[in-house]
Amino acid sequence: MKISYFETGRYASPPDLPREWPVPPAAYDPATGAEAFRGMVERVQLVEKLGFDWISVSEHHYSPRILTPSPVVSAAWLAARVDTIKIALLGPIVPTSNPIRVAEELAMLDTLAPGRIVVGLLRGTTNEYLSYDLNPAEARERTDEGMELILTAWNEPQPFGWQGRYFQYRTVSLWPRMQQPAAPTYILGTSAEAGAFAARHHCGLGVSYGNFESMGQSTAYYRQQCAQYGWTPGPDDIIYRANMILGETDDAAEAALQRRDKRGLFAVSGGLAEALRTADTTRNIAGEKRPANVGGVLPISFCGGPDRIVEQIRRCRETMGAGVLDLSLQDPGAGDTDAMMEGLDLFGRKVLPRIRDI
Amino acid sequence: MADKIVADNETAAAFSEFHVEADGFRIRYMAAGQGTPLIHLHGAGGPRLSRGLDLLSQHYRVIALEMPGFGRSAENTRTATMPDLAATIASALTAMQIDRYNLLGTSFGGKVALWLAVQQPERVLGLVLEAPAAIRPVGTRPPAGTPEDLARRLYAHPERLPPLPATDPAIQAKTSALVMRLRGPDRDAALEAEMRKLTTPTLVLFGTRDNVVPPEMGRRYKEVMPHCHLVFVYDAGHAISTERPEAFADVTIDFLERHEAFVINRTPTVIHP
Repeated sequence: MKISYFETGRYASPPDLPREWPVPPAAYDPATGAEAFRGMVERVQLVEKLGFDWISVSEHHYSPRILTPSPVVSAAWLAARVDTIKIALLGPIVPTSNPIRVAEELAMLDTLAPGRIVVGLLRGTTNEYLSYDLNPAEARERTDEGMELILTAWNEPQPFGWQGRYFQYRTVSLWPRMQQPAAPTYILGTSAEAGAFAARHHCGLGVSYGNFESMGQSTAYYRQQCAQYGWTPGPDDIIYRANMILGETDDAAEAALQRRDKRGLFAVSGGLAEALRTADTTRNIAGEKRPANVGGVLPISFCGGPDRIVEQIRRCRETMGAGVLDLSLQDPGAGDTDAMMEGLDLFGRKVLPRIRDI
Repeated sequence: MADKIVADNETAAAFSEFHVEADGFRIRYMAAGQGTPLIHLHGAGGPRLSRGLDLLSQHYRVIALEMPGFGRSAENTRTATMPDLAATIASALTAMQIDRYNLLGTSFGGKVALWLAVQQPERVLGLVLEAPAAIRPVGTRPPAGTPEDLARRLYAHPERLPPLPATDPAIQAKTSALVMRLRGPDRDAALEAEMRKLTTPTLVLFGTRDNVVPPEMGRRYKEVMPHCHLVFVYDAGHAISTERPEAFADVTIDFLERHEAFVINRTPTVIHP
């Protein structure tokens, strides 16, 4: 089992900060922001020392919950400050991006840090489309086309044009190109469409936050699709991003779970959340319809002392086949980074050495 | 006397049917629209009027030829090679008093079109190759079988299109023998040597989900003809002009109007002037 630490740029929010998305820029404190990014480097250097395999960064906008609107900038900064740990971009939100720009920037990163970049391509949750004014009804198709264009741009050795539904280019000719072999690439999502796309293009699959059984449905669908395309994914081809509360003992972890803020941090408000769900009706897990995720509180998938956590990781592996866990040891946006650092340290000492053979 | 026929997919434009005598063959052709002639050479399955051709006929005089031995024409045991077939087409165009024209070749017809452009470059204003089969991976077989089999080879999304008509075994047998005789090697050194010298503005189109000739073949055209333009039509199979007609017609018209300048975007992006 490989372990990734999900770094979110921990902005220490004062208690009086407005709680709803978007958070007014007037409430932003530049010194706190700079401190958050200094801490980002410290945490990544710590998990590298602890023996984590990857750190991951993501794309989110207009709030302190996850302070990284550009995963490429995050990755470039971090890659220059650590030595061996892999940097996973999980990932650029494809439907709101210029796919050629994404392809170019990822190829740059792959060249700047050869062998150390991992790529995830993402549709993004529905609330993210508010940031760059994307019609949620077009997000699925824009994602599929954008991802295919990115992969084509990486692979084509000759200049080409693209006559798409949502994207049109007359000249694409990438410099620099990806390294050989190129950074491992994952399609992020639980839907049948994500699984089928990943299988058809021989990519990995990344799922997140759902319980083991429902995510197992998604990864089973992906494996079935891979079989149809004549290949078998290995454990490293499946990432599971999840929240974990780790304590010295089960009781300590349960107590922390009870203390956890049950409100969604910096989420869109009720009326808007409902309107977003109505606007995006294509979400599914392996083809089974589910409501759109529009932000809000995320479940805890792992909770306990080291022994229980090891058993939960074993069950996770058996149920969904994931070979990479991408973990938050505290809710993104929660202020107490000391507790998270303790959790990381504890994970490195008491869990990591026991899960390598899972 | 021209008969009125309607393009497939129940499109608006009606093509009219004509015949021309050339090179000892009586050649049927379908024509629609006004303007500069755009000659279409069909694929190995014979003539098929797609929605894409219909859209092109709003800008050009589209003339879709039925090459001798295909479709309803008599069996062709005489034409021995692709250059022979191209020469027959050239004779037909002369007989139709068409001097200069745009040329569109689909799949098998793409190879005929290349030979025609090689033989008479001064007559071809612009060349568009739709999923051309002039350069193929080793062992590529032309689509064959039931209408369902054909649809799976020709389309990325057969479920979104009307079923293909039933195949006539006699036509299939006659055509298949002709295609196998004329198609030549998967890499045709003689043609590629000529392609390297060709200065005709050329656009090569491949559907990203072509199940007959893989879209990766597009790069081979760029290697042989560095000044040609390669464009991938997203989410289209082999029959691009049927499956994504608007995308096909848009890029084809833009290229034929502007040649290499078609890479310069002229689409306004202003939202509220």
